[in-house]
Amino acid sequence: MKFRKDAAPNPEPDAREDVRAIAEALSLYRSAMHHLAEREAARPFVRDPRAHVLRLRMVLAPALTVALAVSVLVPAYSHFHHHRVASTVVANNTHLPASQINTSVDDTALMNQIDSELSEEVPDALQPLADLSDQTTSSTPVTEKKNVTKE
Amino acid sequence: MEEIAGNELAIEKREQAMLELADFDEVVRVYRPRILRFLLSSLTDRDAAESLTQECFLKAWSARHQFRGDSSLSTWLTRIAVNLMRDHLRSRSLRFWQKTRGASLDVMDISDWVPDGRGSPESLALARDRVAAVWRAVNDLSAQQRSVFVLRFVEELELEEIANTIGMNLSTVKSHLYRALAIIRERMGETK
Repeated sequence: MKFRKDAAPNPEPDAREDVRAIAEALSLYRSAMHHLAEREAARPFVRDPRAHVLRLRMVLAPALTVALAVSVLVPAYSHFHHHRVASTVVANNTHLPASQINTSVDDTALMNQIDSELSEEVPDALQPLADLSDQTTSSTPVTEKKNVTKE
Repeated sequence: MEEIAGNELAIEKREQAMLELADFDEVVRVYRPRILRFLLSSLTDRDAAESLTQECFLKAWSARHQFRGDSSLSTWLTRIAVNLMRDHLRSRSLRFWQKTRGASLDVMDISDWVPDGRGSPESLALARDRVAAVWRAVNDLSAQQRSVFVLRFVEELELEEIANTIGMNLSTVKSHLYRALAIIRERMGETK
């Protein structure tokens, strides 16, 4: 125990001195900051014009960057997007199954069938009129022929 | 009885704070140096400190109807200043391309303000060196450590007041203060 006491002298005075030095430094720092702030508070606030330019630049720079990026990226994206859509449509059309291609043919046949059904004979109620029109159309050339022979 | 007395005291304090806030010119006159000092110590940038001080009082004026008097006027204003400073530091950290700082304080500005009532030129020089060492060490602290340190050792607030102002737990405030002091002590040891 005695050996230890001799080897490690009591560190308390050093620690106390250290704490005292820090406390004094902090007190001086506080005093300096108070003086400085008082001076700054008394001084009229004049903004540095360079700072204004810097702030303006800092605001404008990101805005311009974003605008530039948008003006480049949006057309590029829309171009590639349209290109991709068009190529997809073409690819789909070229790979149509045979059944889908035949539908257009079937549609034509169906339309012809409808047309033929619509141009059916005259209904029964209108049959007398139909006969009349047949007679007039068939007699006209006869009278014409008669006139021709008379001349 | 004690509880009633405490409530009455709180109501009285609240009314006093509301009355104080009614004369806003007086509020600015009384509290501006303090807010400026806190921001100047924390940011070490004259322009930023001045701008944020003005913004702080502008915000306080706009939000004066929301002030309920739960805390003192000084704590409320300091809290606004702390929030503004946080926003400022966050936006500054985003401006990674900007290396220049507006009107930063120099270590000479600080050490020149050491009181001159010292015995010898040597002791004055030593005192200036110590202040400069503290100044440099404070600049190396993190934003939160610096805020806590400044509020404790420049503004001389109690730990509970600091916790209330910054919106931290008391234990977190103690932890930040402990680390800040350890760094300052270490830096001061290096300069010896």
